[in-house]
Amino acid sequence: MKIIACYKWTLDEADIRVDEGTRAILKNRAQYRISPYDRNAIECGVQLVEAQGGEVAALTVGGPEVAASLKDVLSRGATRAVWVGQAETAALDAAGTALTLAAAVKRLGEYDLIVCGEGSSDNYAQQTGPRLAELLGIPVLTYASKIELEGNILRVERKLEEGIEVVEAALPALVTVLPDINEARIPGLKQIMAAGKKPTEQYAMADLTLTAEDIRPTAQQESLLGAVTDRKRVLLKGENAVKELVSILKAEGIC
Amino acid sequence: MYDMTLTQEEQLMIQSVREFAETVIKPAAKKADETGEFPWDVINKGVELGLHALPVPEEHGGPGLSSVMTAVIAEEMSKACAGIGTTLGATGLSCYPVVIAGNEAQKKLFFDFIMGGKMGAFCLTEPNAGSDSGSVATTAVRDGDEYVLNGSKTFITNGGVASVYTVFATVDRAKGLKGLSAFIVERDRAGVAVGKEENKMGIRASNTTDVIFENVRIPADHLLGKEGDGFKIAMLTLDKSRPSVGAQAVGICQAALDACVVYVNERKQFGKPIAANQAIQFMLADMAIQTEAARWLVRRAAYLQDAGQPFSKEAAMAKTFAGDTAMKVTTDAVQIFGGYGYSRDYPIEKLMRDAKIMQIFEGTNQIQRVVIAGQLLR
Repeated sequence: MKIIACYKWTLDEADIRVDEGTRAILKNRAQYRISPYDRNAIECGVQLVEAQGGEVAALTVGGPEVAASLKDVLSRGATRAVWVGQAETAALDAAGTALTLAAAVKRLGEYDLIVCGEGSSDNYAQQTGPRLAELLGIPVLTYASKIELEGNILRVERKLEEGIEVVEAALPALVTVLPDINEARIPGLKQIMAAGKKPTEQYAMADLTLTAEDIRPTAQQESLLGAVTDRKRVLLKGENAVKELVSILKAEGIC
Repeated sequence: MYDMTLTQEEQLMIQSVREFAETVIKPAAKKADETGEFPWDVINKGVELGLHALPVPEEHGGPGLSSVMTAVIAEEMSKACAGIGTTLGATGLSCYPVVIAGNEAQKKLFFDFIMGGKMGAFCLTEPNAGSDSGSVATTAVRDGDEYVLNGSKTFITNGGVASVYTVFATVDRAKGLKGLSAFIVERDRAGVAVGKEENKMGIRASNTTDVIFENVRIPADHLLGKEGDGFKIAMLTLDKSRPSVGAQAVGICQAALDACVVYVNERKQFGKPIAANQAIQFMLADMAIQTEAARWLVRRAAYLQDAGQPFSKEAAMAKTFAGDTAMKVTTDAVQIFGGYGYSRDYPIEKLMRDAKIMQIFEGTNQIQRVVIAGQLLR
């Protein structure tokens, strides 16, 4: 079977800092890596192919920094990697990303299943998967915590807040996966070495007959600042402490 | 000029090893240390990643990694647990005699075990032949198309878990070092027995046993190189592995330093974190200087080896300095942690126990100094 696994190359948020003075987001210590849920998406595709045969094409869109992701994703079991080159990743919103991916998927040819992570580790907007399915006109099954294939039928357990829903769809379909679905493998030394020998392709926007206008975000980000919590550092002592606390809270409009 | 820039492939390898160390080794380290039980599940995962087979050449299915990469990987694994790092590293050690002196058939024989996911062990040390390899008493007597091995090896890392051994035995005791010869011996040969397991002070996750050979018959084609090549093969092997032993020590140093940096900010005394005390700051700075110095002695020795230049002296220096540094840095780490450093509920005292072996195994630091001085004075 032919599977396409989509992934995003994101900064590791654990190393992103906020400057307490200016509230600027400091990204200089953060490294790019495959967004964690997308690792589960790739693993999901690779496991299906290992069981049933076929290929997993890993697909991503982004700026020049994404080039470094190709060997990484190939070491995780993808058969080939396709990267749609963009001048600047940050210039894309979910609608633009989905539009670009849809055009790339069409160019890739026939497929049975598209796997995406439920959301990315940076914005977690959870939009790309469903938008992509809509653009391709195929069923989308979100919040997948378990996946089974029986012939042409995809059966998915959706882990929802109130319980687990089991749904089915005929292929081709798109599924967005939660990390519960599997344990993404750690690439071994041989897999990493083999990754360099696997095929990669780069599409330009023009190859997909997309213009900058097509994918221009509808909303423009004016600024992005980190949230800094200032403490008032008021210390109340003595027998009137409770009364004082209540009056301060009242003055703040908290109670 | 040294160009030690890592390729993207090498960076990805390090990333994988770090993830393995953080998510698989680290969570298993405490139990393995406390119980001394061999952590097969962890080791098997490491084997899946190929971390036991670093020197196995690509044409035999291995990654055939450089000495620099072997050192970097050894450091990362031992940062999480030196015992588990030792187990995976010791299989690599057992491969070196075959890499150095094996013919194609011998390489296939040995590396098929390793790439099939089995462990190996390097069997040199005996009760009366530690630093003095010339006193090896295990004998190999030629009998037609076979050799017959008799003798006991001791302190063998992976002795009880390996499926294949590289064994050093003498074909003629009267010849001393010149009688020493190297052989491949499969674990399932009749007469091979695993003796008592050591109850060790540190690296307790690793398996260290006696290995006994009693009238063990092996085909004559299991002899590596020629009769009498054993000492040369053993010394070349230990030269090659020394940078990664040093790297293990560096990993222990880094683990101790990292733990201390976190702790000194958390631990408050006299109303402020102990990090505010210059006495503590100076200790941390010294630990960092020494760790970094050890790391670069190791990397340089590894680099020289990869570059095909003489590296024996530098490898001995790296192993000695890194081993001594690990002892010093971990002792300081215990001091910084105070009473908590001495408690088995905290991970610091384990580092100090693990560090000690770094001054002892694969050539004591005294023997290393003999090697270094010998090179200076020749």
